[in-house]
Amino acid sequence: MSGLRVLVGCKRVIDYAVKIRVKPDNTGVITEGVKHSMNPFDEIAVEEAVRMKEKKLASEIIAVSCGPTQCQETLRTAMAMGADKSIHVEVDAASYENLQPLHVAKILAKVAQDVKADIVFTGKQAIDDDCNQTGQMVAALLDWPQATFASKIEKANGDLTVTREIDGGLETIKVQLPAVLTADLRLNEPRYATLPNIMKAKKKKMEKKKPEDYGVDIGPRQSILKVEDPPVRQAGSKLDSVETLVSKLKDAGLVPS
Amino acid sequence: MCGLDTEQTAPRLNRCTAFIVQHWGIDDTGMAAALSKAFLRCLIREHTQLSRDHLTPELMLHLITPACHLWSAKFENSPFDDPFWAFYWPGGQALTRYIFDNPHVVRGKTVLDIGSGCGSSAIAASLVGASKAVANDIDAVAEVAISMNSEKNGASVIPDTSNYLMFPTVPSPDPSRFDIIFMGDMFYDPDFTQLIDDWLAGIGRETMVLIGDPGRLLFMEHPLMSKLKPVARYSLNKTSQLENNGLTDASVWRLIM
Repeated sequence: MSGLRVLVGCKRVIDYAVKIRVKPDNTGVITEGVKHSMNPFDEIAVEEAVRMKEKKLASEIIAVSCGPTQCQETLRTAMAMGADKSIHVEVDAASYENLQPLHVAKILAKVAQDVKADIVFTGKQAIDDDCNQTGQMVAALLDWPQATFASKIEKANGDLTVTREIDGGLETIKVQLPAVLTADLRLNEPRYATLPNIMKAKKKKMEKKKPEDYGVDIGPRQSILKVEDPPVRQAGSKLDSVETLVSKLKDAGLVPS
Repeated sequence: MCGLDTEQTAPRLNRCTAFIVQHWGIDDTGMAAALSKAFLRCLIREHTQLSRDHLTPELMLHLITPACHLWSAKFENSPFDDPFWAFYWPGGQALTRYIFDNPHVVRGKTVLDIGSGCGSSAIAASLVGASKAVANDIDAVAEVAISMNSEKNGASVIPDTSNYLMFPTVPSPDPSRFDIIFMGDMFYDPDFTQLIDDWLAGIGRETMVLIGDPGRLLFMEHPLMSKLKPVARYSLNKTSQLENNGLTDASVWRLIM
């Protein structure tokens, strides 16, 4: 087969619709008994990889996730969306609390070399820690070109032409393969995994690995001092006329009196 | 048809079986089996739609289509464990299309369709003049679905739930006594994929083996590939692509020993 092999990083995060609660001891957020799902930006990356396969640009999609056993559900979702197989790099719940983008980047880089990936694809960031580091660090570790915040990807001869979302507009760049891509919100709209796909994905191969298998030390490099709720918004008040509003604004020094 | 509340119907199969045994005091196994089959027929009729939306519109098949609630239901809410027979698998579609397009291949021959699912390939073979068409699937629900589909299309297919793949380890009829063996989409499961190699080596050379597959990775990378000759290739329709994320066409291959 001549198509590209795409490795997609899929992080399991607290579902976007869940209201986040901080632990009473301020060491983190409450994850027990909370609905989790695939990081939405990673879902966009999986979708794009599947579209590349449907366009015959890619021939194989491998989904990978680092974390506790429950990450396997996330990988099943990726396979139901169209990934061919997956790799679960198991990190126990306690170590996972201290797993940082650098660790994940090192693991992804090793997996990419191991499976001979042509593209490492991740979401631009995860919605839980908002780090926006993993893709960039994978590129640095592998010394591969990177096209981050992608909103359009096209193949041009042996290269990729990628449109990137940047401040105030769009940037179009050309990257040679192998490369690291990260997906932005407008790249595509991911499909839902329907029953026939979920059923067939149950039989797809899921390899189980550990960070040690890739020689990656996941000892923490930084420690979390404190996690706090954002300040509670002060209540507003309802005014009955424009005149009252103007005088209030004047009192507050927001308009010249 | 196709619109019942899943939460109500999900436990129905078990409840009904228990009801039959408990309240009707059935100790006649034949009677219990007949009742159970009658019940399965109702259940299949309720949850599927008769569809011609596939590569072989000559056939009307009981399938879970996008119009059925199970299409987008969660796996836990399905009243069937593995309704593989309710989806028209792409490899099966290609094989069945091939049979309709090349009736001379099967006319007057005895055929065995392994992992028959909805029964389409055996039904097509029966309709174009095979002297005997056996639809083999170890799933008891599939057996009922095959009978229903066969009747609906005026075919005379013999459903058979023996485990041919375990021959001769587990007693089953000798697969080599058939002139032609069909295998549609048997390479989705890594266990089967391993098994098939040895199994095929035990099949007599007079038996023609035709394989249908949409280019799944396990199949494309299979050592068997060197012994296969492509004989036909078809593009999948929209619904079928939705059912098989990442796949766009399916081919028929003939085994050359």
